Amino acid sequence: MADLSDDDRKPKVGPSTDSIDQSLDAIENQLSSISVVQSEFDSDLDTEEASSSNQDKLANGLLNGNPGADSNVLEDLSSVWRNMSEEMEAPSSPSSSGYAAERGSNNASSSRDIGIEEVDGEIVEIGNSDSFDGVSDSQVQWLPGKRHGNEDDASSSWRKRKKHFFILSHSGKPIYSRYGDEHKLAGFSATLQAIISFVENGGDRVNLVRAGKHQVVFLVKGPIYLACISCTEESYQSLKGQLELLYGQMILILTKSLNRCFEKNPKFDMTPLLGGTDTVFSSLIHSFSWNPANFLHAYTCLPLAYVTRQAASAILQDVADSGVVFAILMCKHKVISLVGAQKASLHPDDMLLLSNFIMSSESFRQLVIEAGVAFEDTDVTVNGCANFSIFVLAFLHVANVSFGVARTSESFSPICLPRYNPMAFLHAYVHYLDVDTHLILLTTSSDAFHHLKDCRVRIEKVLLESNVLNEVQRSMVDGGMRVEDLPADHGSHSGAVSAHLGQPGHTREPSERFAEAFIGVGGPAGLWHFMYRSIYLDQYVSSEFSSPVNNRQQQKRLYRAYQKLYASMHDKEIGPHRTQFRRDENYVLLCWVTRDFELYAAFDPLADKALAIKTCNRVCQWIKNIENEIFLLGASAFSW
Amino acid sequence: MGMSAASSVSEAMKLCIFDLRRGQHEGQELDKILYFFPADLPFPTQLSVIGLSEGLITFTRIFSPEAPCEVIEAEKHSHVFYEAERDIWMVMVVDKSESEAIWRTASLRSILKEVHSLFVMFHGSIRALLDREPSGGLTRTHLYYFIMDYLSDFLSGKKLHLPNFCDSLKERGMVQMLTIGREAALEVQSLVRVLESCAGCTQSYSLIMFQDLLVSTTLSPDDLINLFTYTVMRLTPNALSAGASSWSYLRKGITSSNASGSSLTSSTSVLDCYYSSQDTSPGGVRSYQVVRPLQHEKWSKGKDGFLVTDIWGTEVGSLSPSSPTIWLKQTEERMYLCAFQHRSLTIILFIPVTSVHNGEQGLSVVKQQILENASSKIFKVEEKLSRGWGGENAYHVSGYRYLLVDGDRCISRASPPGKVLTLTKDSLVVMSKLREEVDLEKSRAKCDGFDCEKDQEICIRAKNGAWVISRLTRGKELYMVLEKANETLLYASEAVEKFSDRCCSGVFSL
Repeated sequence: MADLSDDDRKPKVGPSTDSIDQSLDAIENQLSSISVVQSEFDSDLDTEEASSSNQDKLANGLLNGNPGADSNVLEDLSSVWRNMSEEMEAPSSPSSSGYAAERGSNNASSSRDIGIEEVDGEIVEIGNSDSFDGVSDSQVQWLPGKRHGNEDDASSSWRKRKKHFFILSHSGKPIYSRYGDEHKLAGFSATLQAIISFVENGGDRVNLVRAGKHQVVFLVKGPIYLACISCTEESYQSLKGQLELLYGQMILILTKSLNRCFEKNPKFDMTPLLGGTDTVFSSLIHSFSWNPANFLHAYTCLPLAYVTRQAASAILQDVADSGVVFAILMCKHKVISLVGAQKASLHPDDMLLLSNFIMSSESFRQLVIEAGVAFEDTDVTVNGCANFSIFVLAFLHVANVSFGVARTSESFSPICLPRYNPMAFLHAYVHYLDVDTHLILLTTSSDAFHHLKDCRVRIEKVLLESNVLNEVQRSMVDGGMRVEDLPADHGSHSGAVSAHLGQPGHTREPSERFAEAFIGVGGPAGLWHFMYRSIYLDQYVSSEFSSPVNNRQQQKRLYRAYQKLYASMHDKEIGPHRTQFRRDENYVLLCWVTRDFELYAAFDPLADKALAIKTCNRVCQWIKNIENEIFLLGASAFSW
Repeated sequence: MGMSAASSVSEAMKLCIFDLRRGQHEGQELDKILYFFPADLPFPTQLSVIGLSEGLITFTRIFSPEAPCEVIEAEKHSHVFYEAERDIWMVMVVDKSESEAIWRTASLRSILKEVHSLFVMFHGSIRALLDREPSGGLTRTHLYYFIMDYLSDFLSGKKLHLPNFCDSLKERGMVQMLTIGREAALEVQSLVRVLESCAGCTQSYSLIMFQDLLVSTTLSPDDLINLFTYTVMRLTPNALSAGASSWSYLRKGITSSNASGSSLTSSTSVLDCYYSSQDTSPGGVRSYQVVRPLQHEKWSKGKDGFLVTDIWGTEVGSLSPSSPTIWLKQTEERMYLCAFQHRSLTIILFIPVTSVHNGEQGLSVVKQQILENASSKIFKVEEKLSRGWGGENAYHVSGYRYLLVDGDRCISRASPPGKVLTLTKDSLVVMSKLREEVDLEKSRAKCDGFDCEKDQEICIRAKNGAWVISRLTRGKELYMVLEKANETLLYASEAVEKFSDRCCSGVFSL
């Protein structure tokens, strides 16, 4: 087992508690000198001219034009900047702010080689899904990070990728590209910029270009331009929502004050500021194909007995009263409890971005390495969802012994919650209590580390004493609601809260349970899956996947079908509609929107309409019956 | 006055046609413009519209080489693309700012398709015209008058009324049929045989219409759509008495403006203002002799029952007008168009120009034959059809507002527009959006080559309580709005089922 050195145990504060703040300020201070440098060799090439020259290219249809001379200038500029930023960042540890995010040492080398891909260019994301969270730490699954970094717009493989994301500055400088090397994509980036500003100069704003199966979606956020080029059949609204989140993720890392940098120097190069955050963006983009929170704008909770969650909430509330803005206890992307200081409420999108940021940055989670090793010791190969329980159980065996002595990392990192306050940094204290369960404490004060550490110690103690962590592990093994367990008729189970999610059948021994784990056969009336979103709680619950939606491809297809249904129901002008029934060769989908909730259900395409409707009613009743186990109640101002 | 009218039209829409093979050298950019509406827009503005279009065509080819740019949705405008012929693009830019401005892209594109295919029917392909006269003047002049005349149909008052959400239960580029009984069908069949013998040649075709509905034809589907469209636009009794209200979508603008003959003329002149105000149009308009088949009020019914027009000029050395001719896609041959009308019945014979000896003289022999041999049958058929005709609301199904499309046969049937207008705006907007969604799925299925296999059902209960429904099955489409329906989905499904059994021989029944 890898023994972590003392250095690793130290809080990763270093000089970087507010390193981004400092760097942004530093940027501003340095900008004047840069612009002096710039003016020496760049005086005749201001932004207007640059963009108008791009427009000329556009008007002439010469879109693949090499940026030529000005790209040299840009390179010179960026090298000047690189030198400066290196100097500036030298004293700070790369992982201290969380966004440098180099991978854990022992899987860093293997991970990049494993990237398995589909022929058509989208990454095959094996075994990682909403309900099979456990595997995502195993090595045989989707790994965040840049793919195909050597490609550019001239490579045919690059052109064939199903879904591109780009972030660029308003002067056309590439900031991020999902595929390919940003530097090599400078010309392409200039083209995107030219399209946007050409339309803008005509007094309009381009939103969407459609060509065959491809859609190009644009989003302008001040000096930041975002674009998505996709042939995934997702709706414009969905893709636009994804660009909004991508922008939000960037704001989470840098705050909106980066706009000031562009005000001072329109040709400001942002890439050094985002150095090492590829994994954060790629993991967010990956989540666009599995995490319903992206379009539902709601978060999901780990199912827990009401008293267990209460115990967690109580201690978090205690802490929140002592100057913590938000205290969040999560297991993977599922919330165990969440408490906000008075009047502070956390937007589900902020939650999503924050948890993506934390979970995709290896530097937050040193225990993973330990767990991985522990796991390898047991000599079980984890190569799919079905083995998740084995994994967790194996882990628990080790964990039971090693919990007390597990040396977990703690990090303190500036982050910004774009919906809470896009202009300012908060400071996040992050601590992994076990492989999946982590505590996030957010504060406004940059020197609260030691206070938060004390808070964490108190919280951890209470959680251990009240058995919350074990309950969390048990819940992970038991999983969420299963369509097979839908009570026969509503009413009869209204009082049953003792067993797992109202189902007495789930109080069996773990060994017995996992023998039949994930061999769902579908629910009554051909019910395959459902999602339920409580409007007032900003929370949703979705069932576990059952047969035949049991591989990654099928889950992704269902996810996209839901996403489409959601977009169709929530039309900007005339939505939301009340009900929708959809049948095609893949599914019968039913959606029901009321003032209180939204229900999305997927059935066998041959399902009987009348029975499907009855089944939906039963699902709603079931959820009502166990809402205090599957939802975090009283988290917002609204009380259920 | 002309100017104010012009500005109100130009704000609503821009329409351009350009050739990617022309004007590729600096300084020659203007050469690529074959048509631009409004024509009085300054050239730099015209070039910027075309520049953006061209840029995006090139850009989207990077990712989608087979199907480049189809639409640009901007905050204030939609740009709808259509590659009419190889490298010849039509782009329509519409303003979204008005409350009525909720469009389906496919429905706007169908206008571009329609005007182009009508153009080809009368003038041949744009490329062929360009090849015939590379300077482009001939092409520009033809396009210019043709599209101007075409657009005048969309004028209502001084505004262009493009099909919007109100037309979501209509489908352009389709044929509407008259349902007839067996007996009448037999009569029609025998009339067709007589007509063929009158034409005196085997390559002739016929088209029989009752009111604005198709009764019978021997034309190929492509040609049928064009000729059906043209007949309804300009030849049927409703079209000839332009003031009379029509319930066909093809004369939408006129219907909605409640146009009398005079207001129609004045609305045409609104567009004319444009053109006369810019005599600088490239190529010098006046120097070409232009046939304007879509010009209004140029057709009339002669004493002998044949429809006459001077659109095609007059015979050299005589005062009698030349007979109209058109190109048939199927045979790639120029045909005489010979139309006879008796009350509600319009009969058109298409005879190859090459098979008629002595031109007009030969044609009058054919006409004589028709009068002698076919007129009694024509009267009989007209009488029979009139007796069975249920009037404008013949295809109304009470409680339903619907559109049925048979894509394979290019046939559609819909609730009468008067009945559709009783729907609330909300229901129509929801239908329009639903159709947009279905359009997208259809076009994707087409890209994948699963064109006809798409089987899909969508039932939406909108905020206003209306059920908005679409069904696709085996190449057939059904769109339906039920406003006074019960709230349960089962009720709505049952209603669809009933309709399917009653009106579409169970095609949409499960």
